Amino acid sequence: MKKGLLKLVSLLLVLGMLLTACGGNKSKDSGSGDEDKVLVDPTEFPQTAEGKGDPIEGGSITVGLVTDTPFEGTLDWNFYSNNVDADIMKWFSESIFGYDANYNISNEVESAAKFEVADDFKSITITIQDGVYWHDGEKLTAEDYVYSYYIIGHPDYVSKEVGGSRYADSLISDIVGMEDYHNGKTDTISGIELLNDMTVKITWNNAQPSLLQGIWGYATPKHYYVNDKGEQLSVKELVNSEKIRTKPIGFGPFKVVNIVPGESVQLERFDDYYGGKPKLESVTVKTIPSSTVVEEIKSGKVDIADFPSDQYEIGMETPNYQLLAYEENAFTYIGFKLGHWDSEKQVNLQDRDTPLQDVELRKAMGYALDNKSIAEEFYMGLRSPATTLMIPFFKEYHNPDLEGFTYDPKKANDILDKAGYKDVDGDGYREDKNGKPMVFKFASMSGGETAEPIANWYIQNWKDVGIHVELLDGRLHEMNSFYDMVENDDPDIDIYQAAWGTGTDPDPTGLWASTSPWNYPRYVNEENDRLLAEGSSEKALIDPEYRKDIYNQWQELMIENPPVIPTLYRYALVAVNNRVVNYTVDSTRTDLGFEDIAVTSKKPFTAKDSQK
Amino acid sequence: MSATALKGKKAIKEEMKKSKAPSGFSVLARELVKDKLALVSLVILVSIVLFVYIYALTLDQAEITKINPRAIFKPPGGEYLLGTDYGGRDIFGQLIIGARNSLTIGIAITLITSFIGITIGIVAGYFGGRVDNLLMRFIDFILVLPVTMLIIVFVVIVPKFNVLNFIFIMSIFYWTGIARLIRSKTLAERELDYVSASKTLGTPNWKIILFQVLPNLSSIIIVNMTLNLAGNIGIETGLTYLGFGLPEKTPSLGTLISYSTNPDVMQNKSWVWLPAAILILVLMLSINFVGQALKRAADARQRLG
Repeated sequence: MKKGLLKLVSLLLVLGMLLTACGGNKSKDSGSGDEDKVLVDPTEFPQTAEGKGDPIEGGSITVGLVTDTPFEGTLDWNFYSNNVDADIMKWFSESIFGYDANYNISNEVESAAKFEVADDFKSITITIQDGVYWHDGEKLTAEDYVYSYYIIGHPDYVSKEVGGSRYADSLISDIVGMEDYHNGKTDTISGIELLNDMTVKITWNNAQPSLLQGIWGYATPKHYYVNDKGEQLSVKELVNSEKIRTKPIGFGPFKVVNIVPGESVQLERFDDYYGGKPKLESVTVKTIPSSTVVEEIKSGKVDIADFPSDQYEIGMETPNYQLLAYEENAFTYIGFKLGHWDSEKQVNLQDRDTPLQDVELRKAMGYALDNKSIAEEFYMGLRSPATTLMIPFFKEYHNPDLEGFTYDPKKANDILDKAGYKDVDGDGYREDKNGKPMVFKFASMSGGETAEPIANWYIQNWKDVGIHVELLDGRLHEMNSFYDMVENDDPDIDIYQAAWGTGTDPDPTGLWASTSPWNYPRYVNEENDRLLAEGSSEKALIDPEYRKDIYNQWQELMIENPPVIPTLYRYALVAVNNRVVNYTVDSTRTDLGFEDIAVTSKKPFTAKDSQK
Repeated sequence: MSATALKGKKAIKEEMKKSKAPSGFSVLARELVKDKLALVSLVILVSIVLFVYIYALTLDQAEITKINPRAIFKPPGGEYLLGTDYGGRDIFGQLIIGARNSLTIGIAITLITSFIGITIGIVAGYFGGRVDNLLMRFIDFILVLPVTMLIIVFVVIVPKFNVLNFIFIMSIFYWTGIARLIRSKTLAERELDYVSASKTLGTPNWKIILFQVLPNLSSIIIVNMTLNLAGNIGIETGLTYLGFGLPEKTPSLGTLISYSTNPDVMQNKSWVWLPAAILILVLMLSINFVGQALKRAADARQRLG
């Protein structure tokens, strides 16, 4: 037994030394100057990969899709529902339109089709250019484009088996004759006229303010979506057919060679691409879990991948890759549940019996939040404190002069004192106006490294001004069940933290109108509805200054009478291997497409090479 | 005559005391003293437990779990003895409170499961027959359930999740092993003469179970509880590591170790998870060494002393 004792003691000693060794080194490393934190300025990052060395002929790259689950693999623009699938599709299938820096369709940009919009924004004439070919060699025609409308408008499209979600968009459902076709009354859509093989005219019932941003841009290979006997596949057959699951085609710069379902997609150069022969020989798109992204990039196993912003550190070494940054069209916010969604009448009702109905209380809760610390300490400046609900991504409409809810606990306390929220029983928390204790349940999502500390940080902030908030169920909720609860107006949720992607259309009607199911706070305000309607009226369309003014008023209203408190604006990072050139996240570089991407070396650079 | 008779009785009594077979506890104690490794382990174990429980009294959990964005990932030394985690929270404080929580959970589960297990096992074994059959089939039923999966599901659906709930959920499933063991021992024990004698004398069953059979099983019970304790602490830390244990606001050893799922923390910020890992290792080893010694003590052929 003596031996055993010795072993134990030596084991403890070794472990102890290990611990002190680790600790010792680290404290020396960061001992100097970690008090004043340096922040990163995301606008200083490059937006286009420049690469090291001169581009060579050919070569192939690997693109990482950061996702923790297998991709779904519905590789058709009419049917896909998952962003990951879209990230795969963009390599081989693209819109017939070109888009300018403001995400409007434009004739200036190289594209497969040119168009002409009528002055009243009620119709558009689209002409497909000559020389655009599908990957199987067939020519792209106007009929292929029109076929997309026939699929999305088809009665079966919204059925349970297909589950399509794009019909409701007014640019689709408002087409003349679309409703009859959708209800099965007619076989053709009268508002879509094929003038000749290459030209089509689409007419809507009403003027379409978001026509330039929102028009459907994808053509469907009609000749390809047939069965062995040459009969056209029905919508229900199509959604599960191998034509879109494993052997999809497009007219983009690369064509699909092989798909390993859920894992990876191999693409090869399409020589007859209308924008010129792509420089790369082949591209492999594969999924990688978020936890290993950094390692995969360092070892050169992927050339391009989204970089998790909570893993970014100041002065971090990027030996074999460079980081591109771009402003995400998304924001994080804290929402107050004020009512419920009446699904029969399709309207929001702001009818919940909660102290949060008091505008002053909501404002005070906004001023109590210290978003600056989160942006600077957790995200090193890759997130910034949000000010208004019109994100800076929409440069024309975001009002930089509005300060929004800046961190000001004193102001929050003043507002609460004035409004009559006093701590009656002396427990450190304020009671409501009638002296009854109030406790709010806060729902937040798990996932991401910093979700938990941030949620608890907000709870502390509110505690500092005497508002009692608790995590719902004492823990964070998984994303899908979280959104289930928020969407269904779970009565247990008083406050929640979520994020919205805004898309590229600045019109906020879809998120905040009283008739929108996405209006999760269930906020109803006449002035809000009026301003939103004005913002997308024909007058606003013709006169941008008027629209700007309307949206300014709207942003102010959202601070005066907030349904939510915007918390953070976001920047996203993309890591690109040093051998890659011409990959861009810059929306103004409309001249660069995937066909222009090239490499400067046959093999990816690894972190080890660059140490030599 | 009466005087001598009295004297004789006394002498006999004393005689009996002297010749009494060594009791369960003294055997255990002697075995521990003989086995130096176990003795050292016991000292380490007791001092850790005492230190953790006493020191935790001086700490304020709310203060320790407070987020401090200005102190994220501070390395050890200086203001923070063992550094801070990604919320700027003191690792040392979390370690002490976490160890207390993990130990409390482990000990509570062991006590509860032992209580249920011993009661059911002894009843099944002592009465035998139909009672035995019924209880054993019930235990078989619980044993075929995928326990870990069930616990995970419970954790997800329980609305309020705290230490008490956690103890409760784990206790529901983990008593079956003890019940089986005690039952088999009781089956052997009840055939012995002293039980038959007591029965003939008219002693009620509950008295025989509590005051005669149970003390004779004490050594096996103690051994079993000790070894189970190590296992139960392990289950708690394991579940928490996987994300199905205590919420992060309640520090535990599992929470601290689960920070290492981030590759960056794993490689470059070992102060976050290493102390908790070492503490668990030391606790487990100590408990197991003590348990081994006790196990030997329960079996006369293996005893050292």
